[in-house]
Amino acid sequence: MIGILKSMATTMKHALDGETFTVEYPDVAPEVSPRFRGVHKWSQERCIWCRQCENVCPNNTIQIVMDEQRNGEQYNLHIGQCIYCRLCEEVCPTDAILLTQNFEFTADTKDEFAYDKEQLKNVPWYKDIDPLESREPDRGAWIGEGDGEVDYQ
Amino acid sequence: MQSAPLPETLANLLGFDPNSTPVMIVMSLIGAALIGTLMMTNTALAGPWAKRKITAAFTDRIAVNRIGPFGLFIIVADAVRLLSKELIVPEGVDRPAWDLAPLVIASTALLGFAVIPMGNGIQLADPEVGLAYVFATASMASVGLVMAGYASNNKYSFLGGLRAVAQNVAYEIPLILTGASVVIFAGSLQMSEIVAAQQQSLIGPLPSWYAFVNPFAFVLFLIANLAEVGRNPFDIPEAPTEIVAGYQTEYSSVYFVLVYLGEFIHIFLGGAIIATIFLGGPAGPVLPGIVWFMIKIWGVFLFTQWARSAVPRVRIDQLIEIGWKGMLVLSLANLLLTAVIVGVIA
Amino acid sequence: MSLEKPSRDTELDVGATEDGLDYDALADLLGGHVLDREEHVNAEGFVIRPDEVQDVLSTLRQEVGFDHLSCVTAQEYDDRYESIYHLRKYADPTQELSVVVPSPKDDPHNESAARVYDTADWHEREAYDLVGIEYDDHPDLRRILLPETWQGHPLSQDYNQDQPQIVPLRENANPLQDDHRSEDDPDTMFVNIGPHHPATHGVLHVETVLDGEQIASLEPDIGYLHRCEEQMCQQGTYRHQIMPYPDRWDYISAGILNEWAYARAAEDLADIEVPEYAQIIRTMSAEMCRIAAHMLALATFALDVFGDFTAVFQYGIRDREIVQNLLEDLTGQRLMFNYLRLGGVAWDLPEPREEYFEKVRDFLDGLPHKLEEYHDLVTGNEIFQMRCVDTGVLSRDQVKQYGATGPVARGSGVDYDLRRDDPYGYYDELDWDVVTEQGGDNFSRVLVRMREVEESARIISQCVDLLEDWPEDDREIQANVPRTLRPDPDKEVYRAVEGAKGELGIYIRSDGTDKPARFKIRSPCFSNLQTLPEMSQGEYIPDMIASLGSLDIVLGEVDR
Repeated sequence: MIGILKSMATTMKHALDGETFTVEYPDVAPEVSPRFRGVHKWSQERCIWCRQCENVCPNNTIQIVMDEQRNGEQYNLHIGQCIYCRLCEEVCPTDAILLTQNFEFTADTKDEFAYDKEQLKNVPWYKDIDPLESREPDRGAWIGEGDGEVDYQ
Repeated sequence: MQSAPLPETLANLLGFDPNSTPVMIVMSLIGAALIGTLMMTNTALAGPWAKRKITAAFTDRIAVNRIGPFGLFIIVADAVRLLSKELIVPEGVDRPAWDLAPLVIASTALLGFAVIPMGNGIQLADPEVGLAYVFATASMASVGLVMAGYASNNKYSFLGGLRAVAQNVAYEIPLILTGASVVIFAGSLQMSEIVAAQQQSLIGPLPSWYAFVNPFAFVLFLIANLAEVGRNPFDIPEAPTEIVAGYQTEYSSVYFVLVYLGEFIHIFLGGAIIATIFLGGPAGPVLPGIVWFMIKIWGVFLFTQWARSAVPRVRIDQLIEIGWKGMLVLSLANLLLTAVIVGVIA
Repeated sequence: MSLEKPSRDTELDVGATEDGLDYDALADLLGGHVLDREEHVNAEGFVIRPDEVQDVLSTLRQEVGFDHLSCVTAQEYDDRYESIYHLRKYADPTQELSVVVPSPKDDPHNESAARVYDTADWHEREAYDLVGIEYDDHPDLRRILLPETWQGHPLSQDYNQDQPQIVPLRENANPLQDDHRSEDDPDTMFVNIGPHHPATHGVLHVETVLDGEQIASLEPDIGYLHRCEEQMCQQGTYRHQIMPYPDRWDYISAGILNEWAYARAAEDLADIEVPEYAQIIRTMSAEMCRIAAHMLALATFALDVFGDFTAVFQYGIRDREIVQNLLEDLTGQRLMFNYLRLGGVAWDLPEPREEYFEKVRDFLDGLPHKLEEYHDLVTGNEIFQMRCVDTGVLSRDQVKQYGATGPVARGSGVDYDLRRDDPYGYYDELDWDVVTEQGGDNFSRVLVRMREVEESARIISQCVDLLEDWPEDDREIQANVPRTLRPDPDKEVYRAVEGAKGELGIYIRSDGTDKPARFKIRSPCFSNLQTLPEMSQGEYIPDMIASLGSLDIVLGEVDR
């Protein structure tokens, strides 16, 4: 009996202290840590069309189309299929593709999640956080020399 | 405090002759409608809104607060939402029984309020067997539960219905026996008499409410009442994690609303009985009787929600064991002791 | 020192020496049964005839003390099929042996090991289902992950992925047909608990036969969440593409523990040394994951026992949220971390480091108070004790028979924890205890998890101290690992770590390319779930639900 009363006292204590831990989303935008990985943003100015992101992507989310002269034509990314592993950002030598903190995206159909160049360029920053500063991507360690060849083209 | 039943008051108020039968029938209907509406309002407040707020408070959350002041208009939104849903009639349900069950569950509990004195003269009737009548109507809900469980043609519903019967039978008896001990004190089954008997002072300003006179019986009754209304630790007829939703698994839309409503009215009826026979009915200082009465039944409602937040559900065999081996024995002992003590004093 | 294993009174088993197993002695014991010997990275493989499996395994079990059949790996080569039985000992899991059973390509048949180890039942069914090896003398050789009507075996070489699976409706079993167990038992009632049921924690289907409210018999039906993770990993490169997937096996925030299982196996395969600094970060983040996973286990167990308005669930989620925020700061995600890399971790601690340490310490300081609250709410509650003590009892022998590991084994008094017994990471340098309870019931399992949270907190706090004092110029988070990993061909490794639910093992066979030729996941939940019928036969439905909750399975890991 004492145990039961103790349990009931515990919940009553919580009811009376008035503290809550839930967030009134979307009125209050939740805090997102600087390293958080959300929707991609892509920059055409920086991209050198090395196709490394396409190669490293575990589930073929990124699709790149180039013409015969190896000029980039299309850069498509299906953000509904993406598993947000951040390997594309990690492998990119020019920071052309970045994962913003933005996690809010909706669509009526799955097709609308297949973003093309323009859509990827226009993905907004979340609370104006530029993830590059907080992440300091440590590619020196990551790319490694080993016996693998580094080939940006 | 003693006043004429509601229909007579109404007749006098409107200037009709309280002795003519047709007038009294009409007045009784109006009175019944008034009390029904009052209780429905309470239930509507409790179901979609208060329950969420209370549960949220116990679990450190915020809960409904978007629509209207304190999120009160969620009641309207919920009503529209639930009523506009598709009514799904599963294949193979036992039609008349399946349709009637929600009505039975909801209406039986409502009937009980006819004899409850809520203060300020709000009491539809005051028969001499008031308490027996209340217990009778309250236990009729089990018929509805069995109907729902059996007619649904669903194994989970079936299990839930059977559990409900086993539980109600096991706890009805201690409930009534404990109620009987109060009757011995008051010397009457009439509700107004029981309330009136609690008005003297016990010690100093403390009134002689039976909860103070016999706290043991009060605790017994409170526990048996939790089982009667099916709330933790005795919510096994629904037991969502075990048998999905028990007897109400197959109900949707309007029928679900009725079943849900019935449950809440039942809690309030339990609260009303407790308030009447243990907490001095509508008695209380300063505020009018009806307000005190409402505070008391909401207090009981709050208690059921509180138990829900912290107490685990017992197992079906343990429930039966507690009922027959524990509660029954204790309530019999309580009854005997009360009878002996009252006999010696009187 | 707390980490020492309680010494065993019995003499050393055959072949067991102070510095590892003497495989020659074992081969002598088995004599003519051993056709050939293979070199695996951490355990030698004995090749035996397919019709002598039971003989060999029962000799090894009874005379050598290999009481733990950790995993059964089946695979197809160009010229043969092969089943590998990975044996270890509960007393000392570093003593490992692989029993390799080849069977002919045209008609793959093996003798089943299910008569020797109960756990082989499901493991062999899976091997049959996915690879297509038939096991003779198996009690019930059916498909387990794929539907009964599936055509072909997806991991066999001649499987045609493009062939549509056309199954007419009449081929499907109608679960409504049999309402009783049998004609002579008309009092029983068949109930499908799941796949959609509030208490199955995912899409688990339990075929239950009830006698009144009691369980007459029950069989878990799994596979609803099967994604062929093994094949997905076989199609990914070692270096990068496999690592995101382990997060999705046990997706209840135990991601880093799972990643570590892959990292450990692959690093052993490719001889990669992990810098010490990275090991500490790994240890710390893995224990955070364990706390998060155990918090959820406790919360959902409360949901099963208390009912759906309990405060315990919400408090558990609230506290897990704090750990998840810490993990989000560190890894960038809340569940699918993808934080470990072969040879290290992806990121150093977030800057400013002091702030992060402070956050972690705040959480650790608040933890004892919170655990006390849980004890008030849960374990101290008489009704909870009434419900959980002596229900769902699992004996020590049953644990070993079914290869159960993790809190389930430790709740039955089996002192088995790979963090201590087969040390990896930084665990052997730290001061912590392995928690065991003797009861073997639902209550013990809950208690083990709650006490393990305390131990994890101890580990984290020591890691934080170490990290804080670590010299700034020596913060190496990754070893120098080649951009493309191509381990030597035909190298085989089976490595396990202590996941949140138990022994999470990975078997990898390389074929000289940058992708594994065979990738096999030994899921702890898969083995643990097998004990459910043993635990709940003859008990009431609520106890079965509670036992299921106390097993703490994650369907993503059961089905893979």
